[in-house]
Amino acid sequence: MTEEKKPEERKKRRTATEAASRIGPMVKAMVGEVMQAKEEKKPIAYSFICCCYDEIIRAMDIVPHWVENYAGICGAKRDAQRFLERAEAENFSRSLCTYALCGLGFDAWREELGEMPPESPWGGQVRPTMMLGSGQMLCDPRNKWFQAAQHYMPDIPVYDLGLPWPPYESDYDYRQVQDYYVKYIVEELKGLVQFLEKHTGKKMDWERLNQLVELTDKTWNLIWETYELRRAVPSPMGTGDAMNTMVPIVFMMGTQQAYDFFQDLNKELKQKIANKEGEVPDEKYRLLWGGGLPAWFALGDFNYFNSKGAVFPVETTYRMIEAIYNFDMDLTKVTDPLEHIAWRWVKFWTYWHDRARKRPGSHPDVERLIKYFEDYKIDGIVMHEAFSCRSWHPGLIWQLNLLKKVYRDIPSLVLESDIVDISSYNEADTRARIDAFIDTLEAVKR
Amino acid sequence: MPQESADKGLAAADKYYRDYGSKARELKGQGRKIIGYLCAFVPAEVITAAGFVPFRIKGDVNEPITKADTEMETIICPLVRSCFDMALKGSYEFLDGLVVPHACDSICRTYDIWKYTLNLPYSHFINMPHGTDDASLDFHQEVLNTFRASLSKFAGKEISDQALAQAIKLYNQNRAKVRELYELRKASPPLISGEELTKVLIAAMSLPVAESIEMLGDVIAEVKGRGGIAAQKPARIMVIGAQVDDIAFIKLIEDSDAWVVADDLCPGAREFLSSVDVTADPMAGLAERYLRKIKCGRTYREMKGNYEEYLEDRFGHMGRMIDDFAVDGVVLYIYKYCDPYGFEVPQIKSYIEAKGTPVLYLEDEYSMSTIGRLRTRIQAFLELLGSK
Repeated sequence: MTEEKKPEERKKRRTATEAASRIGPMVKAMVGEVMQAKEEKKPIAYSFICCCYDEIIRAMDIVPHWVENYAGICGAKRDAQRFLERAEAENFSRSLCTYALCGLGFDAWREELGEMPPESPWGGQVRPTMMLGSGQMLCDPRNKWFQAAQHYMPDIPVYDLGLPWPPYESDYDYRQVQDYYVKYIVEELKGLVQFLEKHTGKKMDWERLNQLVELTDKTWNLIWETYELRRAVPSPMGTGDAMNTMVPIVFMMGTQQAYDFFQDLNKELKQKIANKEGEVPDEKYRLLWGGGLPAWFALGDFNYFNSKGAVFPVETTYRMIEAIYNFDMDLTKVTDPLEHIAWRWVKFWTYWHDRARKRPGSHPDVERLIKYFEDYKIDGIVMHEAFSCRSWHPGLIWQLNLLKKVYRDIPSLVLESDIVDISSYNEADTRARIDAFIDTLEAVKR
Repeated sequence: MPQESADKGLAAADKYYRDYGSKARELKGQGRKIIGYLCAFVPAEVITAAGFVPFRIKGDVNEPITKADTEMETIICPLVRSCFDMALKGSYEFLDGLVVPHACDSICRTYDIWKYTLNLPYSHFINMPHGTDDASLDFHQEVLNTFRASLSKFAGKEISDQALAQAIKLYNQNRAKVRELYELRKASPPLISGEELTKVLIAAMSLPVAESIEMLGDVIAEVKGRGGIAAQKPARIMVIGAQVDDIAFIKLIEDSDAWVVADDLCPGAREFLSSVDVTADPMAGLAERYLRKIKCGRTYREMKGNYEEYLEDRFGHMGRMIDDFAVDGVVLYIYKYCDPYGFEVPQIKSYIEAKGTPVLYLEDEYSMSTIGRLRTRIQAFLELLGSK
């Protein structure tokens, strides 16, 4: 019986920065705010990360419930299995996104009970007022999950926001098509505002939206500058911590709290660099987390890397920002907030195109790896293939192959498990593979 | 049997099915350029109008996936992996280009793998939106215009409106032939078996449209002329799923004492039953048809009205087919790692069951190795239908 399963005990991951150690309570408070909003009958939106609507929902006082975050919490607490099994009993394949399965299993169970499932992690996932999906290349669950959730909550409206970005092609430059991409996204954002106004009975505060858009730009720049500090040798902060500090990036964008957090982190990293204080006392190997979401139930593996003298000064995962001032256009001149958001989106996703054009046979994703490899003085690349996720994980093997072809052969390790489903994970096997990888790095260094 | 009749109708379909790609190979030998594509969302009309031969890439359930694993993760839909595996093993060595639509994650997120690994002279990604609202339709037309311009560049000549209109006319004729063929399934017993029909549609995917029309016409004449097929079977089955490009599964059902008389599959009803409207700008008609008229799980249909109406909008065509083709039971046949359909299983299942038709949900791996297990499930389902 799924109801009887208890979560396994887990050890808390050791963080390198004080800022990262504050994230747990921040997330708990964030989940608590949603609970409180429910009590106060405020509008609550099931939301996805990377969907452009952060500032829009905040400007309208809609409280986001980040569904991927909640599934990740269940995974990190090693208490997702009962929700996954519930989804499976509903005829959802276990090969689908386990964030979605966890959320759908939870929703099905909550709707059946009429209350939260017993001992729900951090109080549970509330019944929302609305669900905000998106259609984009990032992943199908972004437009399928909430549609499927309506099977259990047919009265909850969904808005699906079209958010394409230009692909990297050989025979045309993205600048040739970017105008119609932006035009479409703006139309979709306008549709979103209308939808929100209809379902909240409240009008958009455009001035406030402008302020939040500006705050977001400022926060993106600050995050970029802060993460660039990690180039230092020894590196003051690793990917393990970045899997905490992603919280303000993807769940709190458009808030003063996110900006203040990165100001604190920035100061802390500068201080550590001044003190020559690295993530580990004796830094031997500098690694790039080159792709894949982490196994949330096994973040302790980052500490295991650390125990071998290996640190991760940089990662591609959840670094969902670039410095706005590095774009090939002056975004400050785009004063309409919806247009501004649309241009920021398109410029972010096409940011690496020009570099790729300069190296025959290359690709933007590979150029990003090369740039990080050089800037952060990297010795090896680690990736994680989560079996249930076809957003970040397809193409990792190919990227490594292409990297070798257009650049050089870099020691690499592809770990395999999942984001939420702990049954896919074998700690002994994972650590044996890390050991072998460290041996390879050592051999290359000699 | 004289050679002429052996190459017509069902015999021709059998030939092109068994030696999939033989016609494209032959045309390549004659100097034609062949553009391969994945999925039903690539407007083959544009490829034809450019003077190229469109060729739908398929997998092979009989061939274990081996080479693909060196470049493509095993978390990808096994059908897509099989297609890629076949390409790497040289089955589609005649291709000059590749067009990949933004269909599902497994197709969309592997475009670069296909592009960089095969390294064909031409490649293009059709970035179709998910939504079907007016803004999405306008965007899709722009996306198709970009495709048209890109393919024109490769062809070294403009793709004229006139050539597009002519291609649209031909593809609509092709679809009309398929609709005519489907009418022959309504009889009891059906005049054409599910296995035969599947073979014909798969063969058609590999042919230039004019030859497909000819083959379909011959098949219709032959089927009508032969005066029915075998004896009555106790159950009439509809199969719903993504792309079924092999007869193995359909044959399995029919070998288990049932007829497959209807489907919502590719190739099948999903992609053949709707035509392109004739519009002043031919790209407008194409955008409308490919975005709004193909009812696939990958496309997000905005909710209008209440939830029941929403389900009717999304799945009503399945319900109508069940009625029109006197279906006794539905097999929901979904591949592992299929995001567009995997998420729809509870809704489709409950929608159809609410109308009184039993549903068997099967998850499969696109491999003959699972046939034994599937047979047991199918037989049990048919027994259940028989006992009702």
